[in-house]
Amino acid sequence: MAEKSFKLAVPDTELDYLRKKLDLVRFPDELEDAGWQYGVPMDAVRRLTARWKEGFDWRAAEAKINELPQFTRDIEVEGFGTLNIHYVHQKTVAKNAIPLLFVHGWPGHFLEVSKLLPLLTSDTGDDPKFHVVALSLPGFGFSEAPKKKAFMMSHYAEVGHKLMLALGYNEYVIQGGDWGYAICHSIAHLYGPKHVKAWHTNMANAGPPTFWASPLLWLRNLLTPFSPADVKGLQQNKIWAADGRGYAAIQQTRPQTIGCFMADSPMGLLAWIYEKLVTWSDNYPWTDDEVLTWVSIYWFSRAGPAASARIYYEFFHKSGSSLAARSTTPFGVSYFPKELVYTPRLWMRTVGNVVFESEHESGGHFAAYEVPEKLANDVKSLCKLESVSKAFK
Amino acid sequence: MPHSEKPFKLSVPDADIDYLRKKLEFTRFPDHPDGMDWQYGVPIENVRRLVARWKDGFDWRAAEARINQFPQFTRDIEVEGFGTLNIHYVHKKSEAKGAIPLLFVHGWPGHFMEVSKILPLLTSNAGHHAKFHVVALSLPGFGFSEAPKKKGFKIRQFAEVGHKLMLALGYNKYVVQGGDWGFTISRNIAYYYGPEYVKAWHTNMPYTGPPTFAADPLLYLQYLVTPLSPQDVQGLKRNEHWYAEGRGFTWIQQTRPQTIGSLLADSPTGLLAWIYEKLIVWVDHYHWTDDEVLEWVSIYWYSRAGPAASVRIYYEYYHDFEASQPPWSPVPFGASHFPKDVFYSPSLWVRALGNVVYEVRHDVGGHFAAHEQPEILVDDIRALCELEVVSKEFDY
Repeated sequence: MAEKSFKLAVPDTELDYLRKKLDLVRFPDELEDAGWQYGVPMDAVRRLTARWKEGFDWRAAEAKINELPQFTRDIEVEGFGTLNIHYVHQKTVAKNAIPLLFVHGWPGHFLEVSKLLPLLTSDTGDDPKFHVVALSLPGFGFSEAPKKKAFMMSHYAEVGHKLMLALGYNEYVIQGGDWGYAICHSIAHLYGPKHVKAWHTNMANAGPPTFWASPLLWLRNLLTPFSPADVKGLQQNKIWAADGRGYAAIQQTRPQTIGCFMADSPMGLLAWIYEKLVTWSDNYPWTDDEVLTWVSIYWFSRAGPAASARIYYEFFHKSGSSLAARSTTPFGVSYFPKELVYTPRLWMRTVGNVVFESEHESGGHFAAYEVPEKLANDVKSLCKLESVSKAFK
Repeated sequence: MPHSEKPFKLSVPDADIDYLRKKLEFTRFPDHPDGMDWQYGVPIENVRRLVARWKDGFDWRAAEARINQFPQFTRDIEVEGFGTLNIHYVHKKSEAKGAIPLLFVHGWPGHFMEVSKILPLLTSNAGHHAKFHVVALSLPGFGFSEAPKKKGFKIRQFAEVGHKLMLALGYNKYVVQGGDWGFTISRNIAYYYGPEYVKAWHTNMPYTGPPTFAADPLLYLQYLVTPLSPQDVQGLKRNEHWYAEGRGFTWIQQTRPQTIGSLLADSPTGLLAWIYEKLIVWVDHYHWTDDEVLEWVSIYWYSRAGPAASVRIYYEYYHDFEASQPPWSPVPFGASHFPKDVFYSPSLWVRALGNVVYEVRHDVGGHFAAHEQPEILVDDIRALCELEVVSKEFDY
């Protein structure tokens, strides 16, 4: 099916329905002085809910989103038939531009690319220039959701790759964090270095080298003492694993049960996502309308918010694929201090062919949205390397 | 001054019933791709069916009338550091002489009505077995009891409420029974208030890890040299599966109770799915009627503090795990193992929990033993309390 241009236009009935639901909201009680200790504080949730019902202008937000050139097209996925995929596609006027696929995660979406777009497609300066494609993953945003179970990482990768080919990009680079990291890892493994000339992540996440998979790295790891930063970071990881992953635990085991909530309660969905926006970012000054736009994309998503949880289930149950094997595709990593997990630099070499690394003083999980210049610069630096840029001359 | 006892009749305001109906009318269901069985969570056809009935067909007033057949009361209980909490409970005395006062403690997603089938059997004056006065409270933050307003309401505080309630009712000697959180709370009640007040405790969910040297060196030694039986091996394997697959709800409730609480408070459909999944997955071939399920979930929906309050027990327990594990107590302890409950514990390990004087492993039954197999559970409670070491404390 040929590409169709897309303009986000949520029907009035949906807006009315949301407002009715918000009218009927019932808030939980709260302990005195709870703060953020027990989860999201109710004063913030109440304030946001009130604004979502009255004051937040979705049509204005929609208009702003529609400033981005968006399209849909059907992509065939082996075993799953055709999925209609939504994406942003912005070309640069510059010559020798590098096609870049941006892959979001959870609770992210295609709009996370919005601040990167002008930086990557800009025609000025000596840095590489990019054509940027940012899809809504199947089951997220305005893409269809798979109609069957067992949609694995390799299937998400297939969608991303086929989209780039369909757009005429036989050779391209990819960038992603959160699930975007795992998916880019798969794309690089499955389609690089023939099609994928480089891949980049802002969420460095890897375990230690094992003797079987990487004996030389394993040896190096044994002989290399941990730096103070490593010790601190790995300690933080322990806390994260015990304290921060409740949402993942339920999404990866009972997505349809938690999905009932996400589909039915806008205030609940708001609480569920807002908690991550605040606790996973590095003091990013979210405005209420920014949050509400973000959550609205989940609320108004084509398949509904429940679909987005299933990526956790399928990955956790690994009946087919998980993190792909290491590829020779040039790999760039940006380390942000407030990312959810810390990985010693050595360990990242088990994941891919690290040719570029950059360490930052600020920035959290939503790097493309929080610190777009830093991320854009890193992507450009990666693609400036001879091993990458030669493919696009 | 704490108030003296007031009789209680459950009477949900019409406005609340209308409000629920409105919410249900506006339900938005999740999508549900093909092939998704119970592995993924509650299958959507079940949710739709139950929501449709809850909206239209389920008679809450009839359910309420049934609940009100049980004599209920409220009274204020002072809890050190937390002020006064108004506690709701069922209280039915037996006509028998020398009946044993028994405190029944529910868990999550349970409630006081889990006592409904065992109560008539326990209080009955017929037969020659032990008879009981039964008290079944709504734990603070559950059912129709107030919820604590301050942080840090731990198992110790739940135990305090249970004990003070029994004392307030004039029971200076009593026994206590519980499963799920009721197990942990009963264990704490036995340790802190027995053997002076608590003459025995019983659980249908004995849950423990292996013995440790620090807690019990002899038992630990015995553990080291005793091979696991084939049944143990199978049971512990089942536990592993539970830890990997079945504990998502625990994890979110013990780390972010306020976030999941927002969902529980606002979506009756979500609350229904959240609880119904446990009612189905944790039982042993128990046939729930739709109305039974809806009555059960309605107690959570209409609860005094709202459903979000009920999950904070997980947070407080998880953040001070050590405080909830009291040392071994000499109070006579009875353990009933039901095969389809969520955890399996080898008998050797159970000896670390308390002074096991009675233990039995059943062939049938799951997590909600009092509701699924009331006769079996009552037999076990009677058997425990008829032992000389317990019965001598009471005049029966």
